[in-house]
Amino acid sequence: MSGARVLEAQVGIVGAGPGGMAAALHLARAGITVVLLDEGFRAGGQIYRQLPEGYDAGHRISEPPSHRAGNHLLDAVARERIRIVHGATVWNARPGQIYYEQNNESWLLACEQIVLAPGAYDRCVPFPGWTLPGVITAGAAQVMVRGFAVAPGQRALVCGTGPLLLPTVTALASAGVKVVAALEAAPRSAMWAALRGVIGNGARMREALFYARSLLRRGIRLQWGASVFAADGDGRVQSALIGKLDQQGAPRPETARRIEVDVICAGFGLVPAIELGLLLSCAARYDAPRGGHCLVVDEQQRTSVDSVYAVGEIVGIGGAEVAMAEGRVAGAAIAARLTSVSFDPRLALHARSERRAADAMLRAFQLRPGLFSICKPDTVVCRCEDVTSSQAAAAGELYGRTTRGIKMGCRAGMGPCQARICGLNLHDIFCDGVEPDLPVAQVPVKPVRTATMIDVPRR
Amino acid sequence: MSRDLRMDGVLRPPEITFTFAGQPISARQGETIAMALWVAGQKALRNSSKDGAPRGVLCNMGICYECLVRIEGAPVRACMVLATEGLNVEPGGKS
Ligand code: FES
Repeated sequence: MSGARVLEAQVGIVGAGPGGMAAALHLARAGITVVLLDEGFRAGGQIYRQLPEGYDAGHRISEPPSHRAGNHLLDAVARERIRIVHGATVWNARPGQIYYEQNNESWLLACEQIVLAPGAYDRCVPFPGWTLPGVITAGAAQVMVRGFAVAPGQRALVCGTGPLLLPTVTALASAGVKVVAALEAAPRSAMWAALRGVIGNGARMREALFYARSLLRRGIRLQWGASVFAADGDGRVQSALIGKLDQQGAPRPETARRIEVDVICAGFGLVPAIELGLLLSCAARYDAPRGGHCLVVDEQQRTSVDSVYAVGEIVGIGGAEVAMAEGRVAGAAIAARLTSVSFDPRLALHARSERRAADAMLRAFQLRPGLFSICKPDTVVCRCEDVTSSQAAAAGELYGRTTRGIKMGCRAGMGPCQARICGLNLHDIFCDGVEPDLPVAQVPVKPVRTATMIDVPRR
Repeated sequence: MSRDLRMDGVLRPPEITFTFAGQPISARQGETIAMALWVAGQKALRNSSKDGAPRGVLCNMGICYECLVRIEGAPVRACMVLATEGLNVEPGGKS
């Protein structure tokens, strides 16, 4: 067969962010062969995203103190000469086999053990005008600044909720963007709740202080209990309607005001990227504060499938520190399996304490149900299939108010993104009171060329 | 565009040129198609299948498929493919 190739390693790791890299490092140091597959062009994941080869921004791009750990990890991974396959789109997986496409070629990574560390993506909440070019996720804005040293615009609105808004604001400001407004949907009480949760976690306290200082220095004020209501413009974003939210998180129309912006960066939290875990038949559960459906793991990061481990965001949003700690645990657990070294339980204790701090923080930033009323009847909820809110509601009436029923009735969630963007919204807006359906992961989990799927490498 | 969105004082590799809908677009090596088009002021990358409304980058990390464009007829995510010299990129049609 023509383009089909096979790569072999004892352990295959999906995702070269903090979790995947920490696992790889631990394994490589134990003498175990690993291959890291990553869809990006450089290691680091979204959080420690590096500029492309040949770029140097000096210290122009703002870096919080926590990035030091990321830089150490990147250096160590490079020193160990760990093999990273970049630009690899993983489209299918079975225990022992990971299928990916790279440069239009079909590849198989054959491995005894798998570590899933695919990270997360931004949670979106639909609002009028959010399909206009110029409305991007908070993550997208960070990619532009940290990944390409590009300012997403001249005048920005940053909105959404959760601890990621602050790095977005500082990244934009360091790129020379005027942050016209920074709106956190959670009420101010969330700030105190979050801070209480991280007391005793020195690193997280330092991080919070860093952001507080850098906002103060730039004269940017984070407004609590406020949100975008709508985006407007002729073919692109030219202005935004913003305002305050009430106790339930619903917009208070009398507070609405218009601001002139050319880019809107919206991030309503993060969603774990679990689809590969689902394909591998790993057990998952719904955990709203952790961002949605998460894989279930034991104290050694092992999923319900014996040879598959999961670390970081895929077992619940937690941030880089959690991912790194869990990556080390998975690495140590697999090393104990494949060699004669024994598992150090202190690693698991450390991971658990990082998790606790993250959970406390996330609970404070849960979306309040009223927020979804920024979505109007004619607002598009499923962007791939162009389904509006009223169409999705009608489908829910006819086919049952579950994400599955809505999908059946109006194709919402059946486009190329496989409901990654709309799935949770379909549930939160239309399926009151029911536990969300487990998302369905379909092969290919990411669209690849037909030739890639036909020309499958075999061992 | 009134101001170059590429940050000042950053060392970058040389310029390259590709086309979008036949128009020449300049990019720096290492930039994705989506990034180069964004800097060039071209935020609309395709039209929605229903009302033809313009769509562009949303996630910028390969998740949402809003940035679909065509290269040699095949749909690709503009945010996940590097711009290279002489590449001909067409707007994405219906998704
Ligand atoms: S912008 Fe979402 S896939 Fe490219």
